[in-house]
Amino acid sequence: MKRSSMLLLSVMLMLTMFLAACGNNGNNGGTTPAADGEKQNTETPAPDKKDDAAPVSLRVFSTFGGTDAAREAFQSALDEFTAAHPNVKIENDTMSANDDGFRTKVNTDMNSGNEPDLLFYFIGADAEGFVNAGKVVPLNELLDANPDWKNGFIPDALELARQKDGNIYAAPLTGFYEGLFVNKKIFEENGLELPTDWEKLTTAVKTLSKKGIIPLSVPFDQSHYLIEHTILSAAGPESQAKGLIDSIDPNWEKGYAAMKELYDLGAFPKDAATIDLGMAGNYYSEGLAAMILEGSWAVGGWSDETRDNSTVVPFPTVPGGAGSGNDIVGGFGSGFYLSKKTYDDAAKKDAAVELLKHLTSPATIQKIASANGGTPAADVEVTGLPQVALDGFAMAAKANSISSPVDSKVSQETFSNLRASVQPVVEGKKSPTDAIAEAKKVEDANKK
Amino acid sequence: MKGDRKYIVLFLLPAVAIMTIFLYYPFFKSLYLSFYRTTGFFDKKFVGWANYERLFTDKLLGAATLHTLEIMLYVIVFQVGIALVLAVLVDNISKLKSFYRTVFFFPVVISGTAISLLFVLFYNYNFGLLNNLLAQFDIEKVLWLDDKNALKAVSIPTVWHYVGFYFVLFLTAMSKIPSDYYEAAKLEGISAFKRTTMLTIPLIMSDIKVVITLAITGTLKVFEFVWVITSGQNGTEVLGTYMYKKAMVDQNFGYGSTVAIYMVVFGVLLAVIANRLLKRDEITY
Repeated sequence: MKRSSMLLLSVMLMLTMFLAACGNNGNNGGTTPAADGEKQNTETPAPDKKDDAAPVSLRVFSTFGGTDAAREAFQSALDEFTAAHPNVKIENDTMSANDDGFRTKVNTDMNSGNEPDLLFYFIGADAEGFVNAGKVVPLNELLDANPDWKNGFIPDALELARQKDGNIYAAPLTGFYEGLFVNKKIFEENGLELPTDWEKLTTAVKTLSKKGIIPLSVPFDQSHYLIEHTILSAAGPESQAKGLIDSIDPNWEKGYAAMKELYDLGAFPKDAATIDLGMAGNYYSEGLAAMILEGSWAVGGWSDETRDNSTVVPFPTVPGGAGSGNDIVGGFGSGFYLSKKTYDDAAKKDAAVELLKHLTSPATIQKIASANGGTPAADVEVTGLPQVALDGFAMAAKANSISSPVDSKVSQETFSNLRASVQPVVEGKKSPTDAIAEAKKVEDANKK
Repeated sequence: MKGDRKYIVLFLLPAVAIMTIFLYYPFFKSLYLSFYRTTGFFDKKFVGWANYERLFTDKLLGAATLHTLEIMLYVIVFQVGIALVLAVLVDNISKLKSFYRTVFFFPVVISGTAISLLFVLFYNYNFGLLNNLLAQFDIEKVLWLDDKNALKAVSIPTVWHYVGFYFVLFLTAMSKIPSDYYEAAKLEGISAFKRTTMLTIPLIMSDIKVVITLAITGTLKVFEFVWVITSGQNGTEVLGTYMYKKAMVDQNFGYGSTVAIYMVVFGVLLAVIANRLLKRDEITY
């Protein structure tokens, strides 16, 4: 039986993930137990400004690491702060946002009393768990008390950062937009017009696929952007915002029907079923594909030639869709949260608030936006961006509506189900109606 | 003896503590969570047996089980088979033995994820090594990772990765066979082929059985090759990736835990069956 106990060991090792994930579920009420312990340190003269400057160390958790375009800009913003406040030590803790592990890490930290002092994370449904559990402080009062800081933001950016309960918990930095990126050079060489409506898009697809150029570089598994755009243009912004929880809008399935139409015309790479987003981006970057559905952050990763030849347009309305053809996916999807534990800790509070203000000041926002091509949350001039990023800003400015992606309107499991349906639907193994009905079932089970 | 007992308990204690914290607690926590419907980390609701009901009607889980079993078949036939053949060959040479041992063992040391990334580049449709080779000979490119081929394509690195490990186990077992047997056989005028099939292999039969059981249980843990090469697409979903998807991607820890419990039960069952089928009789030389 030695073997089976080894098996048990291996399986159980895997299960330790669940331990890490689910420990401490019992005491996650509104209170922060750890704060009590630390409050005893309050005897040290805290509010006395930084004259005697007791050493403080802060942990900032963000996605500005690894290959992120804004990594250096972010580090230099932190360095500026420590230069001005020599008593503060900052631990720059980062993880890539491309990975599902990032969500898990943040939620585990928030749930187990290991919250970072400042957290850069998504706004909206993703944050609901720890926001409702009272792990982060609302910033409304802080913002009102510091008009200089508050006025640095574009009012819209702050509005978009509101959680469902009407409070602002996250200070935004840069926003994003998604759209249909087009390699203008390939289009010109083939005498094609920019795909501003469905007819032009299908014409382009037909012409390009005949020539052996991949028309639209899309993976079936990581089909996030394809789903986001087809559903938005099929359902229109209002119905998209409602998600699937109440009822099924018959327009949704038109998005999947449109995918099938594109597939039948040969729009996707031959190996769409086997590649991931990275490889799809690679095809576009190498000039093998003429179009790709992506977000503003992707621009920095493409080859110089492709970047210079690119422009971006809203995804056209699919046949019979309720969208206007000028609705885009975008928003201020993430921002800096201030943890409740830090806020209640008199020794850390001032330094943390100062750092938060510094990291979301117009100067820092400008730096980050210049590095990652996102839309700045402050009214600053961003220079040195490639033309395609400027096209993106213009597209966002002219859009009829800006919606956050459909992933944030349905549960994670529902979205996984929508993703899994892409391949069977385009290959004709599942009808678009069934795909949406199945997703609805998953959504219902999730909200039970 | 009586005085010893105190120390025995004392020395066993750390192991017990570690096992409890990292093994038994998580296991029972999973068991507990499998009765809940969870959404993310902050919200859970008791649902009784609902997760288990879902388990038995889940077609995707059934498919994942079948895929795991298919990989298991490849692993038993090819991984154990190739390891045995290599071990016999290396055992029969007198020079460069340790060189070959190192070379064949080497893949075991490389991380599975790194190997998987390597194979992603082999299999890629547009840039891949295999399709480039085909293009040299004017043969049409092949979709290596489509419905028909994907599971086999994933099995190849899985099998290759661990061949070296079993190879070393076999080689060690062979080196323990006393040389008198071979000398006696030589006097009888036995051929090299017969010596292998009639002498070497029967004498290491118990090791072969151990290796087969290890291979069976090891296959249940396959994760990184599938995750990196196909992420479970095109009929390659295995139990490990399915559990991960449910728990981590969908943030449904309740059902993910249920799948984990299923994996434990399934694994123990398989191990017991394998042990029954491969009843071992120890050979002493």
